[in-house]
Amino acid sequence: LSAPPVEVEASRPGSESSRGGRPRRATGRAPGEPRNVAWLYILPGLTFFVLFTFFPLLHAGWLSLYDWDGITVGKFVGFDNYTKALSDPDVRVSYQHAFQLILWYAVLPVILGLILTGVMTRHLVRGFTFFRTVLFLPQMIAGVVIAQAFVWFYAAEGPFNRLLMLFVPDSWARGWLGEFGWALRAVGSIGTWVTFGLCMVLFVSGVQKIPTTLYDAARVDGAGSVREFFVVTLPGLRYELVVAFVLTTINALRSFDIVYNATNGGPGNETYVPALLMYLNAFKYNEVGYACAIAVILALVIFVLATAVNLLADRGQS
Amino acid sequence: MRRGTTAALAAIAVGLVVAACGGTPGSDTSSNATTAAPAASDTSGGGASTAAAASTVKTDGFEALGPITLNVWSYDNQDPGLMPVITELTKQFEQKYPNVKINLTFKDFNSLVAVVNRALASDNGPDITEGNQGYQIDAEEVKAKLIIPLDPYVQAYGWDKWWGPDTNQIFQWTDNGKTFGQGPTWGIAQTGQNVGLFYNKKKLADLGLQIPATFDEFNTMLATAKSKLGSDPVFEFGNKEGYGTIHFMGGIQGAFGDAKPLRDWIYHVPGSTYVTDQNSQALTTLKDWATNGYFNKDYNAVGYDQAAAEFAKGKGLFFVGGNWETAIISKGLGSDAGMVNMPPGPSGKHVGVGATSGPWHISAKSKYPDVAAAWLNYIHASPEAFDLMYGALQIPSVSTAPPPPASDPFLGEVTASWQQLVQDGGLTLYTDWASPSMYDTLAKNFQEVMAGKTSPTDAMTAIQQDWSKFDAELQKG
Repeated sequence: LSAPPVEVEASRPGSESSRGGRPRRATGRAPGEPRNVAWLYILPGLTFFVLFTFFPLLHAGWLSLYDWDGITVGKFVGFDNYTKALSDPDVRVSYQHAFQLILWYAVLPVILGLILTGVMTRHLVRGFTFFRTVLFLPQMIAGVVIAQAFVWFYAAEGPFNRLLMLFVPDSWARGWLGEFGWALRAVGSIGTWVTFGLCMVLFVSGVQKIPTTLYDAARVDGAGSVREFFVVTLPGLRYELVVAFVLTTINALRSFDIVYNATNGGPGNETYVPALLMYLNAFKYNEVGYACAIAVILALVIFVLATAVNLLADRGQS
Repeated sequence: MRRGTTAALAAIAVGLVVAACGGTPGSDTSSNATTAAPAASDTSGGGASTAAAASTVKTDGFEALGPITLNVWSYDNQDPGLMPVITELTKQFEQKYPNVKINLTFKDFNSLVAVVNRALASDNGPDITEGNQGYQIDAEEVKAKLIIPLDPYVQAYGWDKWWGPDTNQIFQWTDNGKTFGQGPTWGIAQTGQNVGLFYNKKKLADLGLQIPATFDEFNTMLATAKSKLGSDPVFEFGNKEGYGTIHFMGGIQGAFGDAKPLRDWIYHVPGSTYVTDQNSQALTTLKDWATNGYFNKDYNAVGYDQAAAEFAKGKGLFFVGGNWETAIISKGLGSDAGMVNMPPGPSGKHVGVGATSGPWHISAKSKYPDVAAAWLNYIHASPEAFDLMYGALQIPSVSTAPPPPASDPFLGEVTASWQQLVQDGGLTLYTDWASPSMYDTLAKNFQEVMAGKTSPTDAMTAIQQDWSKFDAELQKG
């Protein structure tokens, strides 16, 4: 997980960088120079990035311009796959679903994570480490396993319905993952369960770097726990919030394993998501070019959203 | 300098892209096609000469050939199931011909199907393997000349007497791999797999009901059953994966017409369409049954095999499913388990979804196709094969097979169901064979029809659109 940038270092008066940088550079090659040596440090990472991320991305972009079945020789079709994807009702509906999933995979977990963090920082919780580990566990379980567990959990005679029946009439029982109108919400709730632990762990570790003097000051000024949360904790977690939103939004948009195993897109097309359509086209329908076009669009959407979240955070700061 | 490095990196990246893409995707595999070409000319030449002189096919006397090794691939890796059957029969075959060694490799279906065509094209692929009916696997193998036509062996062993011509169609492709259901025969298969109407004999008797002779009476009976059963579903149904309805539809479609138009549609016979009165009436019936609450409410959340298991535990009056669920149902319900085909429409001919198990093919690269054919014949139609298959609750596809042991009346009913469909020409095959995306198209539209989210007419139109799209690709070639 990326650490928040350390600004304290740069602003500290009399630090190494602000004192001697400029004159030394003028005299020639100081320690740390030449700057080109930086390439050497990033070379291993860059190699992996180029080989396994950047190059496949370009390759997918290349393939998306072809009508290709994966076996025989492809035919160059320009941007036809893109125009087809943008007018395909199934693709459109899958993006609507993906955006609804952001609510379940990103917004709700962040809110839940913040509430838990607020509680945990205000009161000393006995066995804190234990709870933190347990709440983080969903992150470490394979999506397939989670999906199977929830298929059982949401079954008509499963635990969820038994709990629900304590409060509502028996006729409300249903197989939530197979119900028109409910399936996507049921899938989304799985995402919430998976990600809120991650958000909480991020926030709890972020809180630990907020100076306790700020809390003391707030308390001296007579702030209650809610006010303390909004004036101290929340602003102090700016970077963790950005990281949490970016990570969970990406999870929402590219969700596949849980959907594939819990509903396989059904009932009807109620839980179609872009990654599922990409998979179906590439591996079942022999439409590799079209699948790549869907993938590239998805990558672009994710990129735009992630950038937007970062920009918003930066603007909020200045 | 920095700019220079960036430029160099960019150049490397672009170089990599161009190197890997090779200009046009798939053009590197086209060289595979040309390497396969010599094999192609081999077999077509060989095929023609052996067809001309079927008597030159050897069906015995392989001892003279010296030590022989045959590699066999199968995805029948279920135990109990065909795996122990094939393993035992292979042992017997090796005892019969001590100079023949057969290496059996069992893989699960998906992993075999994913690599089998490339393995057949390589020099150390299987001599004999299972493929899969339809455009994705078998058509590719025929097109790339990876397997040989079995016509000489069909004549030599009398395989044409095993089943009627309309069953044999599922092994037939024209030489270019474009037309399904016509041309040479490229495979044979061991067991019959069909969807039928499983029922709980005890419950049916307790309700004072009997399965009637016609579909109309059956439809009326369902309403009576529903009123008497209360919360227990008439049909225990699992449609989470979507193929539940694809299987369910066959018997209903049969009430409103023959199986042939459905098969022709799968074979892409020109002029075929899904938009027919038969399908419209069948979809409307399916929808009515859903509206009337004949199914368990959570059917879209329950898996197919899970529904079979629930039925075996005593839930529901009927279960419409494949005969591969025989073992679990027999174990659960014992002597209360029964199976028939869906009661027929006015024609009196029974119809149901089904086909044989996976087709066995002989590789074009095999040096001993005659021995391979002898082994295939042995595992399909020897008396030992029939005994072992019945022992594993598998139904021999071969209609010349003796009836199953009388000690197991349920297995007798299951076998009779398959034989009846073969005799009535009532196997609809699997409608999702019609195009690579048909499975999802059918699953989605059927679920929406049952939930009242779309009309039967709109669903048929959407299904036909998928068909037409793939049909255009087939014509284009």
